[in-house]
Amino acid sequence: MHWRIAPQIQARRMIDRKPLYLMTPALAWLTAFMVAPCLMILALAFFQRGIYGGIDYTFTLENIALVFDPLYANIFLKSAFIAGLSATIAVVIGYAAAFAITAAPAKRQAMLLFFAVLPFWSNYLVRTYAWIVMLNREGLIAGAAQWLGYDGELPKMLYTETAVVIGLVYNYLPFVILACYAPLSRLNPEIAEASRDLGGNGWTTFRRVILPMTVPGIATGFVFVFVLSIGNFVTPALLGGGQFQMIGNLVYAQFLTANDWPFGAALSMFLIAIMMGLLTLQTYASERASGARREE
Amino acid sequence: MRSIANPRLMLMILSAVFAFLYIPISVLFALSFNEGGLPTAWTGFSVKWYGALFRNSDIMGAALNTLVVAVISTALATILGTLLAVGVEIRRRKGRFLETIIFAPMIIPDIVLAIALLSFFSLLNVTLGLHTVILSHVVFNLAFVCSVVRSRLKTFDWSVVEASTDLGAPMVVTLWRVVLPVMMPAVIAGALLAFTLSLDEFIIAFFTAGAGRDSITLPMQIFAMIRFGVTPEINALAAIVMTLSVVILALSQRLNRGGLPGQ
Amino acid sequence: MTQPLLTIRNVRKNFGSVKAIDGIDLDIHENEFFALLGASGSGKTTLLRMLAGFELPDDGEVILDGKDVSQVPPNHRPVNLMFQSYALFPNMSVARNIAYGLEMEKLPKAEIRSRVDEILEVIQLSHLANRKPDQLSGGQRQRVALARALVKRPRLLLLDEPLGALDKKLRGEMQLELKRIQNEFGITFIIVTHDQEEALVMADRVAILKDGRLLQSGTPQEIYEHPESRFAADFIGVMNFFPVTQESGHLRAQDGSTITANTPLESAARGVAAVRPERLHIGGNDRDNSISGTVSAIAYHGLDLQVHLKTPASPDPVLIRLTADVAERAPIGVGDSLTVHWAAKDTRVFAV
Repeated sequence: MHWRIAPQIQARRMIDRKPLYLMTPALAWLTAFMVAPCLMILALAFFQRGIYGGIDYTFTLENIALVFDPLYANIFLKSAFIAGLSATIAVVIGYAAAFAITAAPAKRQAMLLFFAVLPFWSNYLVRTYAWIVMLNREGLIAGAAQWLGYDGELPKMLYTETAVVIGLVYNYLPFVILACYAPLSRLNPEIAEASRDLGGNGWTTFRRVILPMTVPGIATGFVFVFVLSIGNFVTPALLGGGQFQMIGNLVYAQFLTANDWPFGAALSMFLIAIMMGLLTLQTYASERASGARREE
Repeated sequence: MRSIANPRLMLMILSAVFAFLYIPISVLFALSFNEGGLPTAWTGFSVKWYGALFRNSDIMGAALNTLVVAVISTALATILGTLLAVGVEIRRRKGRFLETIIFAPMIIPDIVLAIALLSFFSLLNVTLGLHTVILSHVVFNLAFVCSVVRSRLKTFDWSVVEASTDLGAPMVVTLWRVVLPVMMPAVIAGALLAFTLSLDEFIIAFFTAGAGRDSITLPMQIFAMIRFGVTPEINALAAIVMTLSVVILALSQRLNRGGLPGQ
Repeated sequence: MTQPLLTIRNVRKNFGSVKAIDGIDLDIHENEFFALLGASGSGKTTLLRMLAGFELPDDGEVILDGKDVSQVPPNHRPVNLMFQSYALFPNMSVARNIAYGLEMEKLPKAEIRSRVDEILEVIQLSHLANRKPDQLSGGQRQRVALARALVKRPRLLLLDEPLGALDKKLRGEMQLELKRIQNEFGITFIIVTHDQEEALVMADRVAILKDGRLLQSGTPQEIYEHPESRFAADFIGVMNFFPVTQESGHLRAQDGSTITANTPLESAARGVAAVRPERLHIGGNDRDNSISGTVSAIAYHGLDLQVHLKTPASPDPVLIRLTADVAERAPIGVGDSLTVHWAAKDTRVFAV
């Protein structure tokens, strides 16, 4: 009702009747160094590549078409596969971990969550590097196998797709745990008890009641890992050893080695498109889940 | 969830996950003190790699560059982000467009922002260097500061502003004595978050720093070291960098009990 | 009669198309404990905020001590507001919170200290002077908020739902405490509340607001005994209503019985007759003002017994309040038939 929210707004507006002045510097900064560059990239995707690199300002759809060229489309599919696999594994592990944390005594949950997130705060490169040490031929896993008496030939671990997936899961797992913990911890424990009371066993209760109500967390976790993985170029570069390319590496190459900026721009447009599509899906998933909750 | 959880299974899950999360990190720390420097054999405790690190002028130069970038971009982002947060929270109408612009720097893939800025600077014929890294870092830093401060302002009881006025204070006094002190923990927490993000940021710096050796930041140096020849010094460097970010962020978290964005 | 401390004259305020205040006139006297009573959306809080200076009236005057203050900003009015959320400064101790308003008056440090100490004594929180607000209980916070406003010795102290956040028992204690403090300081209090019981207990005079208009003002007793509208009768206390039609000067209830009142139903054929539950007596008098029915429920309240009577005379059950000793002498059970009567002087009639 209008007159009841009025006092709060009045109080805020007393500070400054023109809040726009406060926002102007930051918005100007974002416009200059984010909006403008991104719009430029958008435009760039529709220009031709110059003969000696650089840009020829002639309109073309070639770059967009090139994205669908089998060679590049395959890289897209491959990246999507790796990202999807990593996101799936991260969500399964992360959800289990979050569930286990919510099952812990209330006073210990904050501490467990803190330590689950702690690695996320450290340097990404360093965390990725740690897996080089683990997976190296002279690395820790090899060393451990040897120490256990295994002296046969170990399969190659570093510089494989598996290594890339491990690296991505490792780096983004803490976020997934957080994302899944949020809806799990908000669940009213009496809901699970009510389901049991009505005759559902533990598994049924989980599948029919808890899982549907925590879909938003799962969706957030999945989208986050997928989006960050598909555009990632650090992990494939370090743990994949340049053996195979993902979109991130392709974009990187267009700008820093192949010098085909318009094509690089077109590739990043698709990256953004995929991201926005997924975010929309995620919003939809959360809205549906919260709708379901209201109906109950 | 306790009513349907099997305690033994839960314990197993937690142990496995924490082992997965912490073994690689712990190995790095242990290795940084390993005399021989190799992961395969423990040859004795030593801090010699830390010594070597501080004598390596490339690394020290990069560290200094990173510090310059982080300090300046954090200072700028803190001012801009705080003003933005206050402005947005005061505003009556919440524009979807405005929210998107403010939120975008936090979710836009690094690589996209990086190449966009690179093209932008190149086409405007801006010489690349530390200054362009700073300009770029402010973009996402201000978004994070803004988000931390906003979460604080959301729980802020705006009637204290009225209370202060009612007790006779002019608006300047109210801002200085009531609003700022209440916001301060969040502002500092946001600044600390921005500082670590800037310290650790690699991709955008990699694209916007240019080719010169004198604008290499620490993450760029680490990337190069991992990629082109691992020396044991990097373990020591990794241990320091990791500890630094964790300590600063834990501090930030403590100051701002409301939690970091995304949490 | 002396000049009123505060005169509100034909004040109006719109928020968009909503008439928050729709022409209110009110006089409030020195040293009065005055209550603005109304449901949410009645305009009571807007009126209070207008007195504090946070809302400016679109029209009309607010006259304090003979001067029109309606356009004076809040920090220049000798009026203080105790906020519903208390609005204590979370970054300052109890003592600093209380001293804040005095510091704004640029009083000497020694005087500030002695006045803060003095008021801490009054609210009995001297031992918590250095605590921060988040270390206090709800009741303690409420008293700090009161002290912070009171210490400035305003001409007028405004209290916005001051007891709303407290639990029921504490609320009872604080009602008496507020009255004691008001007496001690001799400051005029205006309190906003939606709780009619609170208004009746505390206030010297009450104003009932509805849809931005003043329905009735007067002492609690006047309003309770002589409500001027059906709304006021229903809003204050408990009331039984009997729909009536007027035929040649007589009021006839739905069951055909006759109801008499000292005041006639003016210029309308239909209306309601209203009687307070405690005015109903058991037993018929074979004449007017007599209603029969079946007991549908009995609620025990300690001191008294509330009997619900289903009767053709009213769509809702009629409520009868019997003191414990009356109930003991003539035990009543659910399902019993019962007749009650009342005196003509206790009937109020309203047009519908």
